[in-house]
Amino acid sequence: MARVDVEDVVKSYDTADAVTITGRPLRPPALNHVTLSIEDGETVCVVGPSGCGKSTLLKVVAGLETPDSGRVLYDGEDVTGVRPQERGVGMVFQDYALYPSMRGKSNLAYYFQVHRRSDEEAKRRTREVAEIMGVGFDSLLGRIPTSLSGGEQQRVAIGRCIVRDPSLFLMDEPISNLDAKLRESTRVEIKKLLRRFGITTLYVTHDQQEAVFMGDRIAVMRDGRIVQVGTFDELYYDPANLYVARFIGSPPMTILPARVEARRVTVEGQGWDLPDDVADMLPSGEVRVGVRPEGWALDSADGVRIPLRHVERIPTERASFLYGELAGASVAIAAPLDYPETESVQATPDWGRACYFSAEGEDTLRAPGALELF
Amino acid sequence: MGRVTVENLVKRFREKVAVDDVSFEVNDGEFLVLVGPSGCGKTTTLRLLAGLEAATEGEIRFGERVVNRVRPRDRNVAMVFQDYAIFPHMTVYDNVAYGLRSRRTPRALTHRRVMEATRKFRIEHLLWRKPRQLSGGERQRVALSRAMVRDAELYLYDEPLSNLDAQLRHQAREDVLALHEEKRRPSLYVTHDQSEAMALGDRIAVMRDGRLEQIGTGHELYERPRNLFVAFFIGTPSMNLFDVELRLEGERLVASSGAFRLRLPDEMRPVLAGHVGKRLRLGIRPEDLHVPRMAPFPVNQENTLRGVVNVIEPTSAGSTTYLSTLEAEPRDFVATFKVRMPSTYLDKEVPLAVNARNVHLFDPETELSLLHGA
Repeated sequence: MARVDVEDVVKSYDTADAVTITGRPLRPPALNHVTLSIEDGETVCVVGPSGCGKSTLLKVVAGLETPDSGRVLYDGEDVTGVRPQERGVGMVFQDYALYPSMRGKSNLAYYFQVHRRSDEEAKRRTREVAEIMGVGFDSLLGRIPTSLSGGEQQRVAIGRCIVRDPSLFLMDEPISNLDAKLRESTRVEIKKLLRRFGITTLYVTHDQQEAVFMGDRIAVMRDGRIVQVGTFDELYYDPANLYVARFIGSPPMTILPARVEARRVTVEGQGWDLPDDVADMLPSGEVRVGVRPEGWALDSADGVRIPLRHVERIPTERASFLYGELAGASVAIAAPLDYPETESVQATPDWGRACYFSAEGEDTLRAPGALELF
Repeated sequence: MGRVTVENLVKRFREKVAVDDVSFEVNDGEFLVLVGPSGCGKTTTLRLLAGLEAATEGEIRFGERVVNRVRPRDRNVAMVFQDYAIFPHMTVYDNVAYGLRSRRTPRALTHRRVMEATRKFRIEHLLWRKPRQLSGGERQRVALSRAMVRDAELYLYDEPLSNLDAQLRHQAREDVLALHEEKRRPSLYVTHDQSEAMALGDRIAVMRDGRLEQIGTGHELYERPRNLFVAFFIGTPSMNLFDVELRLEGERLVASSGAFRLRLPDEMRPVLAGHVGKRLRLGIRPEDLHVPRMAPFPVNQENTLRGVVNVIEPTSAGSTTYLSTLEAEPRDFVATFKVRMPSTYLDKEVPLAVNARNVHLFDPETELSLLHGA
């Protein structure tokens, strides 16, 4: 078990080839002053688009990359210079990386052979892990990796990590190679294992929904920096800026250009009074308003007419999504599943639950905060 | 012109039957989605329609014309692939124009169409770039533009969105639908992701092991799945399945397992009369499990299922909760709620109300639905 601290880490890669091919200026650092703490037993998901530096961060924590500056601490102890194999880290990758010629069992025992531990110990640990891994795991151990499905291979890979009793788990897109249905069951499997063992975990993914599912907290990265770290509620209701607001949530938040004046908000010529607590926070002038799909009142008397492009009905979510356009922005509105087919819809944003951003730049001017139910 | 018909289509690769006696029609202007797990034969079916594979048996007709022996380039089919299949050495403009030039279209017309299509898909500022200078989303729009300039009899899509980040996928779905709206020709779209199928398809065809399991609107497949496979495959999270015994206790029809006794609605008695005393598979959709206080029907001992909360996943509409039953060998199941389940309920035991009107029952041998079989 361990607590992990990443302190002000900077990591740049050699940029020579990037320059010669595209003629662009030097690439910014892959990690640009990154600071992140993972509490003992906590799962932190790092999420961001490809090239944001999330895999580099994982490699630095694992010791596979050495930072240019900054430190990595395990339980307060500086491990920046410690070799990866001495860090007691278990890693699971996208492509499973099982030894293809070995049966599941040998894959698990290999570590003990290399480290000259007794067969006895290898057997005992393997048996313990099989018990913990639950139903059906035993039968996977007798088979060679190529005869296993992707999900099964990933279970063996995770089992192989657990036998080593790691103090820290590092996972890099472990389920993105699986097809959609298998991904669903495998992620539940992994999450249950993480909870059962309470192993500190850093989990990297590009999929915000997977991050929300896996992480106790989520770190959103962009261009080598961490933009915000927090629970789903904090990111969803209190986004640090426009980037996080758009990145978390599906379908994404609608961003409308608007004008605030005399405690009123105007979108495309139509005006509404702002709730007091919102009006107090906003300067007069141009702003951008972020509205979540569920943050609209449909068929409201003071609504604005929104022409629709199409209606997506999702029986599995008992909802439909109305896609249209308002003030040049793409709009997504959640509606009941049986909402009638129409050319346009009259709707009002819930101004009290909307996010407000500056018109220039991405700063959040006002966010609604978590929903209070009781 | 007109509909595309597939009749008793079979494709064998040596001993393996990839497509096994498949028949369906894609009506003029219809968007049909072919969905199934990897290896189910969906891509092979698409390649047979394109003419990239030769059918072993059966007939493919475009309108009245049998095309089995027609070469791919003479079938007049437009395709969009997962890896975009754009030429790396050509500019965006040349890539989009390629299909028209190779068919000796007059230069002025080619130019007009390329400009229209690239404007529609927002890449008109990238016309002189090479593919490697484009992002994944932009490459995908090049592929869509290339299909847009054609006047094909059939449009085929082979998992065109699966290489895109989650946040790009919504826009990309709209782009695919925009292309379809414009062309209004038969379209066949292949994916392993049932939520994509639900969002896009006028109708959906579910495949498994080379066979067509069921074809219908998303709503039909969801509400009245004909067999266990379709029931489980359609919907995220998947339908919960329990082994039960069907009993008649006085006037009451009861599905009983180690974990619960569920009274079934009296209307089901005529259909189920012949199955009393047998072991069946009971299916409950995650959204048919309710917090008792918020259930839209009366709750009592006869429609309550108890479970221990393992994982709570916040969603924008509420939460998805992963539980296990209170049995010697606990079974996992899932419930989705319109409210956010507080994390204080983790590891606690909670009662859930089952909407018995919406349950499904399957014969464990044949896997056919007893309620929606016909």
